[in-house]
Amino acid sequence: MSVTLTRAEPSIAGAGDYIELMKPRVMSLVVFTALVGMLVAPVHIHPVIGFAALLCITVGAGAAGALNMWYDADIDARMARTAGRPIPRGRVTPGEAAGFGFTLAVFSVVALGLLVNLLAAALLAFTIFFYVAIYTVWLKRSTPQNIVIGGAAGALPPMIGWAAASGTLAIEPIVLFLIIFFWTPPHFWALSLYRIGDYARAGVPMLPVVAGEGETRRQIWLYTLLLAPLGVAPWLFGYAGPVYGVAALVLGAGMIVLALRVRRESSSHTACKQLFAFSILYLFLLFAMLLVDRMSGGLLGHLAT
Amino acid sequence: MTMASETMNELRKPPATEPRPQGGIRLTEEQLRARRTRSIAIALALGAFVAVIFAVTIVRLGSGALQRPIYMQPAQPTQGTK
Repeated sequence: MSVTLTRAEPSIAGAGDYIELMKPRVMSLVVFTALVGMLVAPVHIHPVIGFAALLCITVGAGAAGALNMWYDADIDARMARTAGRPIPRGRVTPGEAAGFGFTLAVFSVVALGLLVNLLAAALLAFTIFFYVAIYTVWLKRSTPQNIVIGGAAGALPPMIGWAAASGTLAIEPIVLFLIIFFWTPPHFWALSLYRIGDYARAGVPMLPVVAGEGETRRQIWLYTLLLAPLGVAPWLFGYAGPVYGVAALVLGAGMIVLALRVRRESSSHTACKQLFAFSILYLFLLFAMLLVDRMSGGLLGHLAT
Repeated sequence: MTMASETMNELRKPPATEPRPQGGIRLTEEQLRARRTRSIAIALALGAFVAVIFAVTIVRLGSGALQRPIYMQPAQPTQGTK
């Protein structure tokens, strides 16, 4: 038996490549929603502890992104949207990405547990596990419901933020979870409609590839009909004021109008692109309004006393 | 000089050696640049980590963290009382 030893080439991966592995754009949405979850909690969190919690959540989200890129490198290489990622481009080896992701995942969870509280750490660990093992490894390649179920991972950060501040969970963060959960299918299916060739080439069973464009447009419409009232729910449940309520109504109406256009559109993908872009704005503005409402409510209440 | 001494001098000469191959790996400019950016990033991350741990420690323990006695007297054994 002979053993051939090959010497690994020294890495050409710079710091920027590792940052790219952490999916900074996804990370920014995670940080923002976690921050809102933290600040709308009724318990005041010390700014330093809050900052440490956000840092751990950010690193944890980045770790999940790196592990996703490690496992999905073969798919990424076949899709135009993802072919420029560090592993398909040959900047980072799969082993480097896996090591980086696992290290950061363990580090972020342990740090969150030690610096903030165990509930938040457990939720972060579950989020990373769900995104990597359940979504990336299992669902993504096996079912058109991949992003529906996998969307739970992206919906958890407000609950982690809330848990970091209060040490408990309540109905309010669960409503925030549900908003992001029902936002995910219209958002990703709108994208997959105009990237259908990419997904088909990579063998990813996205809904348009498996069930066709018509069925996808119908399901986008149905999920948007569920999403719009959920967006208003924080106001209806009484933990957000009328300013938020009006904003949620207007933004929800915008989503419904665009989803209806997507449903009626048959050949072109203009409405799909519009819905995809607006859905990002929708989620950002909805959470921003919740934050503004809570902050201004607190300020007005303080001035009144 | 005799034949024998010439032979001895030849033997005393250090053996002719092959030029030593360059040991280790020579990094290219790109690899050096990448390593430098990685090193800076790790240094910044470690610095930030130390700062966060320090700040959280101060917040958790309060100002009392700096007022602890360095050495604490062991408790004096007490006489049994009736």
